[in-house]
Amino acid sequence: MKLSEGAIETLTMGGLYPEAVLQVLNIRKMDTATGLPRYRIMMNDGRHTMSYFMLSTQLNSLAEENRLEPNCVCLLKKSVTNVLKDGRRVVIILEIEVLKPASEVPGKLGEPTPFVEGQGGKAPQAAEPTPPVRPLQLQNGNEAAHRGPNREYGKKAPSAMPSTPGGSSKVVPIASLNPYQSKWTIRARVTNKSNIRTWSNSRGDGKLFSMEIVDESGEIRITGFNQEVDKFYGLIEVGKVFYISKGTLKIANKQYSSMKNDYEMTLNGESSVIPCDDACDLPVAHCDFVAISELETREKDSVLDVIGVCKSVDELTRLTTKASREVSKRTFNLMDMSGRTVSVTLWGEEAENFDGSGQPIVAIKGAKLSDFGGRSLSASFSSTVMINPDIPEAFKLRGWYDKEGHAVEGQSLTELRGGGGGGGANTNWKTLSDVKTEHLGHGDKADYFSSIATIVYLRKENCLYQACPSADCNKKVVDQQNGMYRCEKCDKEFPNYKYRLILSANIADYGDNQWVTCFQESAEAILGQNAAYLGQLKDSNEAAFDEVFQQANFHTFVFRSRVKLETYNDESRIKATVMDVKPVDHKEYSKRLIMNIRKMAV
Amino acid sequence: MSGIYETPRPRINTSMLSQYVSRPVCFVGRVEKVHPTGKTFTLSDGEGKVASVELNDPLEEELSGVVEVVGMVTNKGALMASAYTMLHEEKGVAFDLELYNEALKVIHDFPQYYPFKVDTSG
Repeated sequence: MKLSEGAIETLTMGGLYPEAVLQVLNIRKMDTATGLPRYRIMMNDGRHTMSYFMLSTQLNSLAEENRLEPNCVCLLKKSVTNVLKDGRRVVIILEIEVLKPASEVPGKLGEPTPFVEGQGGKAPQAAEPTPPVRPLQLQNGNEAAHRGPNREYGKKAPSAMPSTPGGSSKVVPIASLNPYQSKWTIRARVTNKSNIRTWSNSRGDGKLFSMEIVDESGEIRITGFNQEVDKFYGLIEVGKVFYISKGTLKIANKQYSSMKNDYEMTLNGESSVIPCDDACDLPVAHCDFVAISELETREKDSVLDVIGVCKSVDELTRLTTKASREVSKRTFNLMDMSGRTVSVTLWGEEAENFDGSGQPIVAIKGAKLSDFGGRSLSASFSSTVMINPDIPEAFKLRGWYDKEGHAVEGQSLTELRGGGGGGGANTNWKTLSDVKTEHLGHGDKADYFSSIATIVYLRKENCLYQACPSADCNKKVVDQQNGMYRCEKCDKEFPNYKYRLILSANIADYGDNQWVTCFQESAEAILGQNAAYLGQLKDSNEAAFDEVFQQANFHTFVFRSRVKLETYNDESRIKATVMDVKPVDHKEYSKRLIMNIRKMAV
Repeated sequence: MSGIYETPRPRINTSMLSQYVSRPVCFVGRVEKVHPTGKTFTLSDGEGKVASVELNDPLEEELSGVVEVVGMVTNKGALMASAYTMLHEEKGVAFDLELYNEALKVIHDFPQYYPFKVDTSG
C-alpha cells in the first residue's frame, strides 16, 4: 500500500491534501479536564512523521475500540489544521477510514524522518496568522478530489473564504470547536430559537435564550444571557445563516440539549454574530432520523429526530394546564417506511398552524419520546417541526408513500386511548378466536379490541327497560303500579319514563362467535331504530317489533368492545361490552387484509 | 360467445395481458378514450397502464368511470370484450382502482390460496 508522501508537509502547512493515505505510528490518550479523553496520533506519510494529529472527540470510539491502532494504514478524508498560541500546528482529524488494519501491516512503512516546519531554515512564519499559507482550512477530501486542487475557493468550501468578518480567525466547522481554542469563526444556520425566558431567585434575576445552529459538520446549542439577549435576540432568525465567533465553549449538559455535540456555547461580551447572506449550501437542519419501528427500543424521555408521512390529523383541541393556562394541542399520526405509525402531539402555535392536509412529509427534530399509551412523541418548545423539508429523506419517503406506502395500514405504537372512537390507525384488531386464545380480559385491567363481525342472533327479550326520565340518569325505575315510576337514584317519582336498550347479541366472524352486550347507542345502531320508537312498537305492534330484529340479523359491523373477566356467585366468565358500532369501511378493511397477507408471506 | 362464462376468467391488469393471450379474462379499469366509431375504447388499470378494448357491436351508451370487461385477450394484447359492466359509485364511495390492483396482485402472488386455475389446454 502506497502512502501519500508529502501529505504531512502539505497538511501541516495548512494546505489541502485530499484523501491522504497515512500510517498510524502511535496513539496517545490524553486525559483532559472535561473528562472526555483526546487522542493524539503520530502519523507517517512515508517521507515524514508528525505527532500532532488529534482525533476529534466524536471519533474517539475509533481509538477506544482499537480500530485505529499503531501500524494501521488509513485514509484521512477530512481534517482541519489549527495553529496553537506557540506556533505549533495541529491537524485535527474530522473523518478517517481504516484501509488496512494493523495486523496486516508488517511495521513502519518507508524511512520517514520527523517533520520539521520550514526545513533548512527557521520557519518563515513567525507571526500569525500566516499570510502566505492560510493557517486554518477546512479540507473536504471528496469534493476537492472532484474539483481538483485549484477549486478550493469554490462555493462549497466556504470555510476557505478569505473575507471572514469578525476578525482574523477563519471559518471552521462546528465539529472542530473545543474549549481550548478561542480563535475561530463558524458559519452556521439557525435551526431553532427559544423564546426569552426569565428567572428570578435569591441571587437576582435575569433572562436567557438559546438557539441551535448547524453546518455541514455538525450542530451546537448556543445560550445567551442578559446583555447578549438584548444584543442578539432580535438579530437571530430561524433559518438564517450567521458568522459566529468568540463564544465560550463548555461541556454540554445533555439533560437540556438533544444536540449531537459534546460541547455547547455561551455568548459573552466579546462574541460576535454577523448575518451571512450567501448560505444556500448549508444544510437546513442536522437530523439523525430514527425509524418509527425503532422507537420501542428507545428509552422513555429520550429526544430524537423522526421523519414520516402525516397519515391522519386530529382536530385542534384546547385544554387548560394546572397553572390554568389554556394551550392548544393537536395530534397526528406519522408513518415511515418501517410501516409503523406513531402518534405525535404538537402544542401551542405549532398545533394551531399545523396543516396536515394532503398527507405531507413531516420531519421533527428533537421530539420527545413518551411511553404514554405505548409509545408516542411530543414536540416541545425545543423541537423543530418541518413540513415537506427539502432533504433527500423526504423525497425518498414521498416516493415510497405515493407508490406503495399509501396502501399500508401502518401498525401503531400508540394505543388507542379511552373510547376515542373505533377506527383510525391505532386499533387493536382481533378476530373473535384471538380474543379467546389470547385470553383477553383475563388481566387486572379490561382489554379493548376491535373486530369485524356479523350479527347472528339478537335477544329481543328484556332488551328494553324503563329508565328514569331525568336527563343524565339512566337508572331503571320501579313501577309503583299507581301511574308513577320511582327512581331510587334520584329519590324521586315521575309520571313517565324513557325506554333504554340493553341488547344481548351474538356476533360471529369466520372463526368464532361471542355474546356481547350493547347499550343504548350501539344497540340503536345495530337495530337501526331509536329506543323510544322500539318501546312504542313493543307496546303497540309486536309483529313490527319482531321485524326490526329480523331485519337486523346478518349485518356486518366494526365492533369495538371491552372484555373483562367477571365473577358472579363464584362463577367467572368473560363479559364483553360493545363500546362502539360502526359500519365497515371496506376500503380500509381491504387495505388491512392486503397488508396482513403481505406480512404473513414475509 | 356465451362459452366465456363457462370457464374461469382470471382477474388481470394491463401488465399481465401478454401472459393471457387467447384466454378469457376479467379486466377492471377506468375509461380513458372511446373511439368515435364506438367499437373500441381504452381503459387504464390501477397502475395507470392502458389497455384497449374491442367490441363486436358499437357502444349504445356513453361509457365513463370504472368498467369491468369480460373477454378474450387477442394476439395483439387487446381485449375482445364479450360483456362489460359499469361500476357505479356506491354510497358516494368511488371504486378504488389502485386498491383493486393491490388485491389483484395478491391473487396472482399466492395462487396456492386463490386457485382460480385456468385450464391451460383450453
